[in-house]
Amino acid sequence: MRIGIDTGGTFTDIVRIADEGVRVHKVPSTPDDPGRAVADALSGLGTATPADRLIHGTTVATNALLTRGAAPVALVTTRGFRDVLVIGRQARADLYALEPSRVEPLIGDQYRFEVSERTLFDGTIETVLEEDDLHRIGARLLRAGIESVAVCFLHSYANPKNERRAAAILRKAGFIVTASHEVLPEYREVERFSTTAVNAYVAPVVSDYLKRLSRRVGRDRLAVMQSNGGIVSWRASVRAPVRTVLSGPAGGVVAALRTGRERGTPNVISFDMGGTSTDVALVTGELSWTTEFSIAGLPVALPVLDILTVGAGGGSIARVDAGGALVVGPESAGAVPGPACYDRGGTDVAVTDAHVLLDRIPPSRFLGGRMRLAPDLVTGPFARLSKAAGLSPAETALGILRVVEAKMERAIRRISLERGHDPTDFCLVSFGGAGALHAARLAESLGIAEVVVPPDPGAFSAIGMARADVVQDLSVAVLRPFDGRCAKPLQAIADRLSKRLARSMARDGSKNPRFTVAFDLRYAGQSFEITVDRPAGASPAEVAEAFAVAHERLYGARHPQRSLEVVAIRVRAVGEIRVAPTKRRRSAGLDPSRALYETTDAVFREGTMPTRFFSRDRLRAGNLIEGPAVITEETATAVVPPGHRAKVDARLNLVLTRDGR
Amino acid sequence: MGTTKLDAVRLEVFKHLFAAVAEEMGVVLGRSSFSPNIKERRDFSCGVFDGAGRLAAQAAHIPVHLGSMPLSVAAVLTDLDLGPGDVAVLNDPFRGGTHLPDITMVQAVFIDGRRRFHVANRAHHADVGGVRPGSMSLTGSIFEEGLRIPPVLLARAGEVSPGVLDLILANVRTPDERRGDLDAQRASLLSGERRLLALVQKYGEVPLEDAASALMDYTERMVRSMIRGIPDGEYRAADVMDDDGISEHPVDLRVSVRVRGDRVAVDFSESADQVEGGVNANRAVTLSGVLYVFRTLLPAEVPANGGLLRPIELITRPGTVVDAVFPAAVAGGNVETSQRVVDVLLRSLGAALPDLIPASSAGTMSNLSIGGLDLRGRPFCYYETIAGGAGAGPRRDGCSGIQTHMTNTLNTPVEALEHVCPLTVTAYRLRNRSGGRGARHGGDGVIREIRAEVPCRASLLSDRVKNGPPGLAGGAPGRPAAPAVIRNGKRRRIASKVDVDLSPGDRIRIETPGGGAHSPPPG
Repeated sequence: MRIGIDTGGTFTDIVRIADEGVRVHKVPSTPDDPGRAVADALSGLGTATPADRLIHGTTVATNALLTRGAAPVALVTTRGFRDVLVIGRQARADLYALEPSRVEPLIGDQYRFEVSERTLFDGTIETVLEEDDLHRIGARLLRAGIESVAVCFLHSYANPKNERRAAAILRKAGFIVTASHEVLPEYREVERFSTTAVNAYVAPVVSDYLKRLSRRVGRDRLAVMQSNGGIVSWRASVRAPVRTVLSGPAGGVVAALRTGRERGTPNVISFDMGGTSTDVALVTGELSWTTEFSIAGLPVALPVLDILTVGAGGGSIARVDAGGALVVGPESAGAVPGPACYDRGGTDVAVTDAHVLLDRIPPSRFLGGRMRLAPDLVTGPFARLSKAAGLSPAETALGILRVVEAKMERAIRRISLERGHDPTDFCLVSFGGAGALHAARLAESLGIAEVVVPPDPGAFSAIGMARADVVQDLSVAVLRPFDGRCAKPLQAIADRLSKRLARSMARDGSKNPRFTVAFDLRYAGQSFEITVDRPAGASPAEVAEAFAVAHERLYGARHPQRSLEVVAIRVRAVGEIRVAPTKRRRSAGLDPSRALYETTDAVFREGTMPTRFFSRDRLRAGNLIEGPAVITEETATAVVPPGHRAKVDARLNLVLTRDGR
Repeated sequence: MGTTKLDAVRLEVFKHLFAAVAEEMGVVLGRSSFSPNIKERRDFSCGVFDGAGRLAAQAAHIPVHLGSMPLSVAAVLTDLDLGPGDVAVLNDPFRGGTHLPDITMVQAVFIDGRRRFHVANRAHHADVGGVRPGSMSLTGSIFEEGLRIPPVLLARAGEVSPGVLDLILANVRTPDERRGDLDAQRASLLSGERRLLALVQKYGEVPLEDAASALMDYTERMVRSMIRGIPDGEYRAADVMDDDGISEHPVDLRVSVRVRGDRVAVDFSESADQVEGGVNANRAVTLSGVLYVFRTLLPAEVPANGGLLRPIELITRPGTVVDAVFPAAVAGGNVETSQRVVDVLLRSLGAALPDLIPASSAGTMSNLSIGGLDLRGRPFCYYETIAGGAGAGPRRDGCSGIQTHMTNTLNTPVEALEHVCPLTVTAYRLRNRSGGRGARHGGDGVIREIRAEVPCRASLLSDRVKNGPPGLAGGAPGRPAAPAVIRNGKRRRIASKVDVDLSPGDRIRIETPGGGAHSPPPG
């Protein structure tokens, strides 16, 4: 059986999936020592057995990067290039900032060292490593108490000899060393150096955390969710901790994919709306990855799930600006003081307050009744805001929801278009505490026909973790023409990578993994690539055709007269996990009335109308609810607006559609 | 038009809707273009204009396009009568363009049989003819800079006029690539048209042109509110550019800013007469610099549209380096003079807004191109702009090694550059202590040193070699640029605008300026 454990900002969620069903438990997170909440959750779950595999989504690496709380690390690099991490791609993030700023480099000026060495683009060593430089630097770092070092030499992907030697010297001296050719043997120094530095920075804290946690919960049962949507043993994770930076959000995307597949609608947009921000990802039947990713402003070029974060959530604050427009976010009330209705001292109007003012969230049922909302506390802030807006309080509240939804619509349309997709071909899988409050209207404005709200939407990421496959990937730079003559040499490289992966998967207990080979291809002269899968036995011409099709989808044209280049080879090993499929239930009929607990007025665009409130726990498969209605459960609230309806499917998903569709 | 007032909610919702149209046009253009300059360096912009040619929304990736696109649309409306499906094209700096590589397209959007909107985009094309590849070299007149296209119809009623397209393609060095990029520009216009029509369908309750008008009024209110925060008075500043690359004479830039209530006049008429070398900016480029400066003073959520300009009057004298007239050479006006228009205008406002304005930044884009034949005899060309130091502000030190003001293009990775060109980068790092010293230091410039592996020719178009970027409020200036060629271990300084031949083993070393400091150092 499998257990998913997701460390969140407020709660640590735990989910156990067994043949008899899914069990969910939540405990408060313990940010000073996240492992304590994990252990608490495990003992609170009760039914766990020592044979259960634990899959953990950890935020230790992410938090270290966001807060810069880890110990300083050092960089050793090629002479002349000590500032690559500072200059980056030389662009600024905000075009119109009078005083542009950028994130502090992860490695400070005093810990960046140059050594004499130079490898050329073709792997020729122009200057042999000056080993004396290394011994001198090592002595200084020891005195400074530095523990972890990133070694980043130019063109080390083409020939790692100098870099390997430098890493060996420093390892011998007792340092934790991350060498760039080991973490990411691909070209483009800014991304490779940055990924290496991030790994060096988080390595000590992640390794320390996972070692302690494995002692607490059992050394052989702990696995870790990676940013690529797959899991690895905690020991493998200690070797490449940079691969956990999207550990938490990845779980939700995996779960959304599984939900879509089970329902026979593999194209899903996962929509995870929380307190301060919203994570959105497009999935077309398979997980999709990107290597153009940054965390806390630092590039990490390893494959991560393609997730976009929009700066709007339930805590986003509304205000009227100097020109008279109602603006929502990016400022957020966060968890403390939180929205005004939390009664923790918040005096600004947040998105959640708008739902409360419109009587859509029953105050006594928030978080299963463990936290009582204070609707009285929103009237004062709303009076001030609506006066500034020149509208009634209800119009202002409805307006806040429209503005948030307009922002989301813009972001989702944009990411769909950029990836060559039309959002109307997708269904929206909505989770997170605030997702289902907005999903129906958002889908309507995007032209999306169907919204799916899975059971336990507040613990959906943990469910995804429990159901994730074992995934490991490796890549290597190639940089050569892609033509009829390349099949053999590329196959040799792919075989070598597959062998390495097979060994490392075996160490993780995955016996017969499925391998996928993919090439990063481009037209000669371009400087961006498209990753194209190479099915077993496919000829270069067939792969070239697949590339042209992808290029046309993404960029609107193909260029048959141009030759192709292969930039990198990627091999991915997937060890599929057998998890009990979600149980299907027989229809209990259309009538939802046993779940109805209240009928009271709530406010919608269409006006104030009697609205039925249902308890999700008591809904049965087959039940049909016509809007206006609200469906509450412990971790989330779903709004079914007038003209929309919700149906409970056989797996107890709520499926929201519009009348007449 | 413009009588409907939008409430606070609709104002915000339409802000996103219009911005989304321009943004999506940009996605389509970026996706479907071929050349790296458009696709990756994102040297393009897209805009939505109303029936009268007033800017309703713009997705500006490049600030230099901010003020100049409306002048392109105005030129099209003056010269042509656009029918349904007609597409106008232009690049003439003296009839709505900026410099020749920037090609603009404009299409009208008809709703209920009337011309209610226009969509337009502009992209920097890698070559439009002229004496050197890239169409960006220093010459003495517009005729040497490349093909000049006045506003003409590229398509009629949805059909491309083959004659016009052939004429353009016959005059450029890479016609296939140009054709692909021009197709991408048309595709982007069509997507803009489609989205606008969809909005009409969906939000029928508010006439779309009224919403556009209300958004312009909104931006105007925000600008006026911002200008009211500037104390009334006249503020002056002056700066000089090194030279025009042909003569040795410095080129004066002078501005006088007069603020009264919620209006401002920006007067550049005392700037130097236009010069022979191509650092002349036309009025559209100067206007972009001015709007950029005022845009930086507004909150981030204010949309860039026609309202931005209403309270601001730009005064220039035709025939000067900031209002060049035919037949001036203008290639460098966009990339060099525009930077200094921004610096000198900011400097003038320093006295008025001491809590906001930063010291001068690098003030040059340090354009470097190197070309020749590689070891296999194939032509290669490397071009990029090199970052410098940002000026320190009242709150913090200036950033080091960063693109400032009118540009924001990316660098070429060293490992990519060395794969493609017979060049080896021997150093790429910050130029230590090149930022001015003060209470808050200017950002450091960068050192980029490149070794030639084959005989080749390097062209540098830059400035700030003779004077470093000045500090503000008593801060010291940043160090001037120091370009040099290193041959046989000997370093020889070169001028800011120069062509030099490199032999194998020679290195060209560009040291870009540091930013100015803010306030004197304590003690």
